[in-house]
Amino acid sequence: MPPRKRPPQPTNASETPPEVKTRISPPSKLCAAAPPAPGPAPSVSILPANILGSFPPPEREIYKLVFSGGDKGMTQTDIRIKMGMTASTLTKHMRALVNTKGVLKVVTNVHKRGEKIYMDARVDPSPEITGGTWYRNGQLDSEAVASVRLRCLDQVEKLGVATADSILSGISRDYPSVGYSIEQIRDILRTMALDMVLEEVRSTGVGEFSDLRAGRVCYRRGGAPQGGMMEGIPCGVCPRIDECSPEGVISPSTCVYYKKWLQMDF
Amino acid sequence: MVSQHGILLAAGIIFDHFGPLVSKVCRCLLRHGALPLQEIVRRLDLSPGQVKNSLLVLIQHNCVQAFSSPRGGGDKTATHYLAIFDNILHRLRFSKFLSVIRADIPESEALLEGLLHNGRLTFDQLVERAIYKVTEGSIRPAREEIRMNFNKLVYAHYVERCPKPEPFVDPLQDEQPTSTRKRVPKTVGKDLSFDKKVVNTAALSDAEKFSEIPYITEDASHANDSPHSAIAGAKRKHEALGVDEELNSTIAENEVLWRANFEKFIFCLKKKFCAERKKPKLRVGTRPIWEAFFEANLTNKDDNSVTSPLNGILARVGQKEGGTSMTIDHVTRVLEELNCSPSSEDPDAFTLDLSRIVEASRYEEMESLVKKKYGQEAFTIFRLLVTQDCPVETDKIIDTTILDKQIVHGTLYKLWKDDYIDSERIASGTGTGNSQFFVWRVKNTFQEQFIDNLYHAALNLRQMINYIIELLLEGSKDETKLRHRKNILILALTRHDDSLMLFHDF
Ligand code: SF4
Repeated sequence: MPPRKRPPQPTNASETPPEVKTRISPPSKLCAAAPPAPGPAPSVSILPANILGSFPPPEREIYKLVFSGGDKGMTQTDIRIKMGMTASTLTKHMRALVNTKGVLKVVTNVHKRGEKIYMDARVDPSPEITGGTWYRNGQLDSEAVASVRLRCLDQVEKLGVATADSILSGISRDYPSVGYSIEQIRDILRTMALDMVLEEVRSTGVGEFSDLRAGRVCYRRGGAPQGGMMEGIPCGVCPRIDECSPEGVISPSTCVYYKKWLQMDF
Repeated sequence: MVSQHGILLAAGIIFDHFGPLVSKVCRCLLRHGALPLQEIVRRLDLSPGQVKNSLLVLIQHNCVQAFSSPRGGGDKTATHYLAIFDNILHRLRFSKFLSVIRADIPESEALLEGLLHNGRLTFDQLVERAIYKVTEGSIRPAREEIRMNFNKLVYAHYVERCPKPEPFVDPLQDEQPTSTRKRVPKTVGKDLSFDKKVVNTAALSDAEKFSEIPYITEDASHANDSPHSAIAGAKRKHEALGVDEELNSTIAENEVLWRANFEKFIFCLKKKFCAERKKPKLRVGTRPIWEAFFEANLTNKDDNSVTSPLNGILARVGQKEGGTSMTIDHVTRVLEELNCSPSSEDPDAFTLDLSRIVEASRYEEMESLVKKKYGQEAFTIFRLLVTQDCPVETDKIIDTTILDKQIVHGTLYKLWKDDYIDSERIASGTGTGNSQFFVWRVKNTFQEQFIDNLYHAALNLRQMINYIIELLLEGSKDETKLRHRKNILILALTRHDDSLMLFHDF
């Protein structure tokens, strides 16, 4: 099976506004140009020949095909196309492989609820399908996310400037039972930088960074939020601005937002 | 090209200052670009006299530049008139320009005011004005004193000699190199618009622009002069001057037209904006160094950077609270942390690139608006799209922001519907389980649209001010209340103009 293809860049991608702020690097599992080819988790190998030999040939082939999909599995449609079977024949075989023999399992894709994905029963589905650690039963575990964010912030406040590693070790020391992975912490820190709760900076190795090797990515408290120059006047945030014109039905002299803003009764 | 509401705003400003006829002519030029007189007459159905007078007003106030360009195949030329949008909008900020001078050369404020009020004047006219303005009982200023204060403005580049009245510009000649230049990387040479080329051709060289009025003996014919003209510190070079200098001086005083140099004022406001903008973000203890850096700035090599000598910075730091205990090492390290790097020309000076602060501020404004209008999640998603160089796939947005899928879908749809972002459907390869993907990116026209909204908001503020003025004239209801509202609106427009400058002029 080919690796999951990333969408190509639209041609005028270069016209996106220039980026001037600290770039927020994409999460580790997504940053590679092409994602790693799906494959069975290293600890799981294909069923031994003696077991496979006992399967009817079509089921043996289906099993091998699904196994090659690794932790990303395979949809029923893809299996049907590749096997060149009718839907009803395939359903019969799938039922046998999943229910009777128990060598395959069905997983729901977090991104496409209606879609069933088959994979080797012993393989853990990839985070791309389950939604990763922040998902429980296909739903985002907002509470878990909120609590780890708080813990990260706590550490940054304690340390001033901190790397993901030092934040993780701080959390592990303060809450020995939680057991986050470094990837999880990195992902959370990145979203916090996006939200500007934290600021992502590179250590210069001097001053406040004197304990950190120059060039390391660190986090510190984000500064006071800036911006909002337009928000002081009604038109700055007006949802109807496109319909508003001097002589139009919606116009400044008849505008309710202005009336309210100026507390006028005209 | 100026956006639709930008044109309406500019025409509105001209309407308020010079009336409907001049505004009509100005709007026509902004809409259609440079035009010859007959063409304006034809399009507006006005008499040539009316158009001519309007153009004269606009030229006097630096809102229009005339130029001649070839007509037909022969040697004939025709005069065209080009509206200068930026200069029209600067009319909103005269009070800000005056406050720059008040802080820097307060004794010259009245002179600048005269120039802003009248557009362009000779030095003689300025002297007349200064004397006319003297209130009873106060001392009449000496011509020499006025000249000295005037030269200070010229020396500091706040005032310049007016551009050539009607330079020759050939649009065809200008277009040819443009097509080849397009292929050159942007850093090599900026692609100038035709309007900009006209303005550049008309402009004098810096040496000409800022050449001060020479000092000469006072001519007995200068009846305006008061007898006590010897001002301490004024250098008389009487003996050294020959007839030529005397002639130059007479021309500089009686014939040369002077005007405010808007570029310099905009640069001062930009510098101030950047200095203030970063202050709330500064770490403890770095603020005095940041302030000292800006205070020590003397000259600038371009409009995008501030350079200050280290000695000057240290001297200023020393005057600040807690500054005496700071070592050179500490100051230089903090300067570097603040993105002030050693200047390439002078190793003992530090340079700060203002364009980075401006660019970041623009994004902050746009993001902040997204947050206000659509909420925190939209802010996060929008920032993700802004910080990525390429379009981002829906699933990746969900993964990176760790937001609920439904919320991400809903927010993307809202942002897309309101033209903030673009989406593209990508057919996926087989075997992926999905038949298509959606990728998203910030719309490339977003910033222009945002600026157009800024102009629109300014236009509306202006309309509201006029509306209240009308109510006041009608003598209706509560006058004090209305006056109060009017002041709130005028103040709001002045503040809002900071956003216009940030997005258009800085
Ligand atoms: S005048 Fe009123 S309706 Fe028009 S854009 Fe402003 S706030 Fe919106």
